[in-house]
Amino acid sequence: MPLPAKAFQLWLHRVAPSASTADICRISGIKRTTLAQQLVRGKVAETTLVSISRALDLSPLAELASFDHYAELAAPPQPPTPAELVSQVATMDLLRAVISRSSPAYGGYGDHGSSMTPALGPAPHATSVRNWVDAIDDGELRHRVSAATGVAPQNYSAQLTANRLSPELAVATARAAGVGFTGGLVATGLITEDEASWTPGAKQAALDALSDGELSALAGERLQALGKTLRRHEQEQAQTEKIWENLG
Amino acid sequence: MIATLQWGTLAVCGVVTLARVPSLLRGENRSLFAVFALMTLAILLSIDAPYLAVDQALGGVNIANLVLRFIIFAGIFFLGVRVARGFSADDALRLITGPVGIAVAAAASAAVVLVFLTMDTAGSSAGLVALSAKDDRNAALVEYYGAAGRLYPAFITVALLPAMLRTLRSGLPVLVRSSAAVLALGTVAISLSLLSPVIPPSLGFLRFVVNYSAVLCLVLGLSLIWLAKTLAKRATKKQAGMT
Repeated sequence: MPLPAKAFQLWLHRVAPSASTADICRISGIKRTTLAQQLVRGKVAETTLVSISRALDLSPLAELASFDHYAELAAPPQPPTPAELVSQVATMDLLRAVISRSSPAYGGYGDHGSSMTPALGPAPHATSVRNWVDAIDDGELRHRVSAATGVAPQNYSAQLTANRLSPELAVATARAAGVGFTGGLVATGLITEDEASWTPGAKQAALDALSDGELSALAGERLQALGKTLRRHEQEQAQTEKIWENLG
Repeated sequence: MIATLQWGTLAVCGVVTLARVPSLLRGENRSLFAVFALMTLAILLSIDAPYLAVDQALGGVNIANLVLRFIIFAGIFFLGVRVARGFSADDALRLITGPVGIAVAAAASAAVVLVFLTMDTAGSSAGLVALSAKDDRNAALVEYYGAAGRLYPAFITVALLPAMLRTLRSGLPVLVRSSAAVLALGTVAISLSLLSPVIPPSLGFLRFVVNYSAVLCLVLGLSLIWLAKTLAKRATKKQAGMT
């Protein structure tokens, strides 16, 4: 659930007592109409709060935690599990890691985490939300989240497919899986890895810790999922072309 | 109010037909132009003034109404084939062009002609309103005639409905899905028009609303696809690459 407008305005008054709404919009890059609309509706998006916090040099996580229904974020953050960290490595970076570990004949260096391998891209990536949920799913996670939040499983799946998850659901998912709250917020792109206080290099370390077998299997799964997505996209494209050819 | 609806529909159909002329000259989807042109003609013949003018020229025995029925049949047939091909609705295409479709077309045509011949059709009257006022027998025949004329369009559009609903739920571009939604709405309107005979006379305007919104839905639905194509060709191609 987005933040209540009243609480948001109290917060804004506390963190920037002298700034006008126009100032806030200017420094945070939020459109005035967007903010005005959110205030009128009484619901302010979490992304708005994050943008303003960044502009004011405040920690988005800590500021989010100052609101009642994100109070649990105030506790010292539980660090992400290795599986969560690896889930935030983009598929192409995973594949690069596979190549990098191969023998020089195939363009690799034959070792783990060679200094020659380019640095990993920052989270989130194109499928980071689904990969994150898959990384913490024990098979029953979706049912527990659905039961706890009242969000229908098919709506939840639709959000994952679109690589989206509302902050509220991200936190609920983390709670249901018993992992730290930052994983979902990073995977959905609400906050950066730095803002979540993830150790720099933690992702790379988790990736390097994978055995060749684990890495290959994971890369295979990712490739298969990517292939499915691309094939579906191609089919839809072909179908659209056919419609246009016949009816355009 | 009804006149606005009639002339408004005619204007929309006319504009869309004219807009198709360049594509026609380029040789793209000629039958689509035929669909729009036939629909425009059908609307023209369902409005009082043009109908009377045309029918007077044809002898004043309402031959124009019979012509109107076959214009609608032809237009809806081309439309059905095009839409079925475009939306990859092989089941609908088989139904429309296969034995079943031909049988329905033949039966509807025969019924329309037979009823027309048994009616006392003297005296031009758009929608045959004046004819049904002649006597009870003629009134009943006019209803049968109308029902026979609506049967074939209803058959075609209902055959397409599953494909439209499939498209609605798919991940195709929004404009294509909206067009499927509008076409499905047109189907519902055409099917509803089968209920015309049971609409009480006090609600007679509903017949017009249903009929004209059906045509509007079909024309708008097709135009949306066309718009989607034009916009997509103009926009730079976005590829969902391997990210």
